[in-house]
Amino acid sequence: MKPGKIMAEMKVLLWKELTDLKRDKKTLFTSILLPLLMLPLMGFIGFALAQEQIINVAVVDLDHATAHNRLLNITFSSGWLLGNITYYLAKYGYNYTVSNSTSIIKNPSIDLMIVIPRGFAENATSLTHVARIEIYRKAGLQTTGRVEGLIYSIVNWFSDQLSKEKIMALARLAGVNATIEALRNPIIYTTTIVSISGSPVNTAFQIRVTISRFLVLALSFVVTPAASYVIDGIIGERERKTMELLLSHPVKPSTIINAKVIAATILGLITAIADAFGLLIYISLSAITYGSQAPFLVDPWLLLVHSITAFFTILVTVAISLPFITRTKGIRSASNIMSIVTMMAVVFFFTALFVDYMRLPTYILAPLYVIPYVHSILAIQTYVIGYSFQAFLHILFLAITSTAILYLTTKTLNTEKLLMSK
Amino acid sequence: MVVEDLHKIYDNKVHAVRGISFIVRKGEIFGLIGPNGAGKSSTLRMIVGLIRPTRGRIKVMGIDVVRHPVEIKKYIGYLPEEADVYDRLTGLEHLRFYAMLRGLVGSELEKTIEYGIKLSGLEQSALKRRASEYSKGMKRRLLLASVLMTRPRLAILDEPTSGLDVYASVNVRKMIKEYVGETGASIILSSHNMLEVEYLCDRVAFIAHGRIVVEADPDRIKQMYNAVNLEEAFVKAVKEADRM
Ligand SMILES: Nc1ncnc2c1ncn2[C@@H]1O[C@H](COP(=O)(O)OP(=O)(O)OP(=O)(O)O)[C@@H](O)[C@H]1O
Ligand SMILES: [Mg+2]
Repeated sequence: MKPGKIMAEMKVLLWKELTDLKRDKKTLFTSILLPLLMLPLMGFIGFALAQEQIINVAVVDLDHATAHNRLLNITFSSGWLLGNITYYLAKYGYNYTVSNSTSIIKNPSIDLMIVIPRGFAENATSLTHVARIEIYRKAGLQTTGRVEGLIYSIVNWFSDQLSKEKIMALARLAGVNATIEALRNPIIYTTTIVSISGSPVNTAFQIRVTISRFLVLALSFVVTPAASYVIDGIIGERERKTMELLLSHPVKPSTIINAKVIAATILGLITAIADAFGLLIYISLSAITYGSQAPFLVDPWLLLVHSITAFFTILVTVAISLPFITRTKGIRSASNIMSIVTMMAVVFFFTALFVDYMRLPTYILAPLYVIPYVHSILAIQTYVIGYSFQAFLHILFLAITSTAILYLTTKTLNTEKLLMSK
Repeated sequence: MVVEDLHKIYDNKVHAVRGISFIVRKGEIFGLIGPNGAGKSSTLRMIVGLIRPTRGRIKVMGIDVVRHPVEIKKYIGYLPEEADVYDRLTGLEHLRFYAMLRGLVGSELEKTIEYGIKLSGLEQSALKRRASEYSKGMKRRLLLASVLMTRPRLAILDEPTSGLDVYASVNVRKMIKEYVGETGASIILSSHNMLEVEYLCDRVAFIAHGRIVVEADPDRIKQMYNAVNLEEAFVKAVKEADRM
């Protein structure tokens, strides 16, 4: 048969599939709008709710003292620390009470208590003692951790200041030339993140690597709608009694099935892109709300690689399930088989969040190569750190596998099998 | 169109068609009548090339159906017994889709659709609505029009008027008769309606248990069974077949 004729038929069949899909608002909504809105919405709701939480903090100053070290000429007051703590608690919207007694922690409405013990100022200015702040947190509350973080940074700042003042005072007394860091941290280390070719990379690159892990995970949300679309397209056409008339036209059954596969893959691809954009919106939103300077990182090449990988991941999923779909009776049993295949995909995509697949030893990775989804993961993971050629090979593997399975499956198809369920 | 010693066994169990042979000439309307499960639909599906005969030969215009299942469909139009519309396509889109599936383009395509519209007898406003909103009769007429509009040399219609009311059935019958008059094509149809068969068919075959019991023109059959109408002849013929 002439390729031109098949292409023309494919065009007609695709026109029908896509016209139908365009009018199928439910499918469009669940497979495109939902993934686009889901992640940002979840992020937004999470943030908005976090804002509304009420946390009650008690601050107890048992010291009430100002101490002065005459030798070093350093002064410190528990009131300064108290003032700073209450200032920042108020600034970040936490309720607080200043109390004189630690028994306030018995009050059920108090979630966290900060205690400045007796002798605090004295110890803070001494050369022999360490001053201590005590924090009491009620178990089971997520947000108290954030208050603790806030206190930690305030305490750290004071600690740092005092340490500097003490070191400089001692150096002055000894009449030696000293720098603070050389005395406080004589040994330090530095880390430079470099690319595979050894040149330093910026933060944007690192964020990209993190994003890519979520992109792999996002593939899980793409395979399912595409797969159910194919099931519905093939078994549904039989059940809705449109299959027989369709098959009576001078078109090869394989062309009909392939058109459905392509329509499903197009749907999947749109879902994948919607997913990726949802992820980017989410990241940008959280960057804005948490005040970090992560820019709106739309990396067109990463998106392209993601889309191509998504395309073939869907194709391979559909190809694997096709022999089962065309041989089962109803939509339900076909869906069951499909969900086994998609579950497998989801499990692998999930592990990719914390497993660097290209660093697995050969005796583990080699057998895993049989699983197409491992190539989807590797395509994105290798691309994002700079191995473009390897990424290309993994995509090529996906492309060849899916086309081969599709070819073999559709070759054995005939109208009788498609028409009659076994 | 020649059918020779056709057999169909489903799943190595159900022997649905047991040696059917007949010929349909150009411009002829041939009717298959038989009780439920007699093997009418199975026979028609084999002629269209949708299912494979277990044994036997089918030639349409000299072409072997089994060996050229795709090619043969260019000459055949087939209306399945249970056929439905695509819910989200309009009537007009149905006609366009099926015409384009036969490789028609340009003015030929438009002319075909035009003829389809005429055959369907549907109003322009109806054609622009989604087919899911059609009544059963409108759906059947639309699908029959889509089958006939490309002027297939052989049209195979499996119970074209099943489920239709009297008025809609009369319409469909007129449509079939006019079509043959205009195009000189051949038609094979199956039916449970004796009036319909008597009105439409040049020749009729009674089928029971996968075999042809009798085959002749309607008048001749009435004479053979000494019956006033085809229905009476049919009842007698089937009783005879059951006894055998
Ligand atoms: N796919 C199938 N698998 C198994 N048996 C089948 C199948 N299709 C039909 N049959 C059987 O073959 C026999 C003939 O069926 P067929 O549909 O050809 O009869 P029919 O004459 O068209 O009947 P009706 O008047 O009810 O449409 C029946 O016994 C039926 O149960
Ligand atoms: Mg039938």
